[in-house]
Amino acid sequence: MSLNVDRASMAFTFKGGMLPMTVMELTSADPERIREQLAGKLSQSPAFFQHTPVVLSVERLDEPHLALERICAVCRAHKLLPVAVRGGQDPVKQSAWALGLGWFPPSDGSRVRPLESVAPAVEPAAETDSSAEATAGSGRIYRGTVRSGQQVTAPEGDLVVIGAVNAGAEVLAAGSVHVYGALRGRALAGIHGDARAGIFCRELHAELLSVAGNYKRLEDIDPQLLGTSVQVVLDDAQLEITPLT
Amino acid sequence: MAKIIVVTSGKGGVGKTTSAAAIATGLALRGNKTVVIDFDVGLRNLDLIMGCERRVVYDLVNVIQGEAGLNQALIRDKRVDNLHILPASQTRDKDALTAEGVEQVLESLSGDFDYILCDSPAGIERGAQLAMYHADEAIVVTNPEVSSVRDSDRILGLLASKTRRAENNQSPIKEHLLITRYNASRVDDGDMLNLEDIREILAIDLVGLIPESEAVLRASNHGVPVIHDDDSDAGQAYADTVSRLLGEDVPLRFHEMQKKSLLSRMFGGGRR
Repeated sequence: MSLNVDRASMAFTFKGGMLPMTVMELTSADPERIREQLAGKLSQSPAFFQHTPVVLSVERLDEPHLALERICAVCRAHKLLPVAVRGGQDPVKQSAWALGLGWFPPSDGSRVRPLESVAPAVEPAAETDSSAEATAGSGRIYRGTVRSGQQVTAPEGDLVVIGAVNAGAEVLAAGSVHVYGALRGRALAGIHGDARAGIFCRELHAELLSVAGNYKRLEDIDPQLLGTSVQVVLDDAQLEITPLT
Repeated sequence: MAKIIVVTSGKGGVGKTTSAAAIATGLALRGNKTVVIDFDVGLRNLDLIMGCERRVVYDLVNVIQGEAGLNQALIRDKRVDNLHILPASQTRDKDALTAEGVEQVLESLSGDFDYILCDSPAGIERGAQLAMYHADEAIVVTNPEVSSVRDSDRILGLLASKTRRAENNQSPIKEHLLITRYNASRVDDGDMLNLEDIREILAIDLVGLIPESEAVLRASNHGVPVIHDDDSDAGQAYADTVSRLLGEDVPLRFHEMQKKSLLSRMFGGGRR
């Protein structure tokens, strides 16, 4: 019997993918304290809480037993969907599985960074100048240069940047990313998994391009395309970069 | 009310202190009462560049901690009447600076001076953030190399978000680009970023371009701000910078390679 199964007869295929995921790093196991803080965050950035999947990280907690069920309930009440738990001891792992959540081993910590839209630790791009900002439908229009260290996010819809995105800056959108200028930093489109999203820019020098978790680094980009106007779309789980002419 | 200008860069060694000393001197020479403050607590340099290191008794930290009055700590420049220096402490670290303390010092100086220049330490941490926090204008010092440009870009992001004007929704800090150590011939050879590339990436107004010059090192080691050296290219470029800062329209110089004349080639006349 051949191992070659006819593609049409397959019900699914497994694919490895890199999905952007919000990690909720718990520093307290008290569901009440979590509730209070979430309520505050919800009023600050309601757009972030759109049934956003989160991984509950309990690495920094030193307690063998956790009121995991109550913590999950608090999250769901604030439109966050816990999908997995990371870290903790065996009882935590068992109760995660009992609740239908996945369990991940503790991280090495090197690749985790605070997320601007929930943690004020990273400075958001100058959001003080209200003239620089306008909402288009549910998307976002940003006027001006996005500078190194800044992050501009459109949690819903498209992000339009009228200006350049400099090296070391990051622009993210649930939908597509449009940059009317040079794109030198990182651009991530379809951050919630929308594979129809794309990245469009006037001048490509991007450090990283990602659509729905499929990414290319600057090194992987055909050097002939650098400096030109391009569109970046997903084609069968491959990032296709084509000139915009 | 004084205008508060921070001289900053992110990256170290690009010429912040040299520029702060030269520009403060230039502003004072043009009749403005000016004070220049060294925010680099622990790595005190400004006093050396200004040539007043032997006259330092009290410093910024002493004033903030109430151990000395402002007038005791301010040093009057011996060459220019209108110019004062407030040195940093060499024995303390940047944690000795408090936001309230800095605010009080700037407030008391504000009544007496036209310009307050804050010479920022390198980096983007506490010391640099305190130096920029109260600024009305910023001079971002950048060298024609990629790392310096990226760090300046980062600083511009902080100027737009982590300052008093940004936090209080006031009109944004006026940002000026000052390019230093520009070597036109190395730019021509492609070893250095050119002026247009830097302007395009940073997207702010150019206030001055200082050529790489032997006069700068000589001036630093003699403790005489280079702007006093009228004959040098760097001194003239700083004078132009001061004029532009004061709103004058001065054409850009020193950004193109000068073709050496036959005579100077024969007699080996180098740049001063």
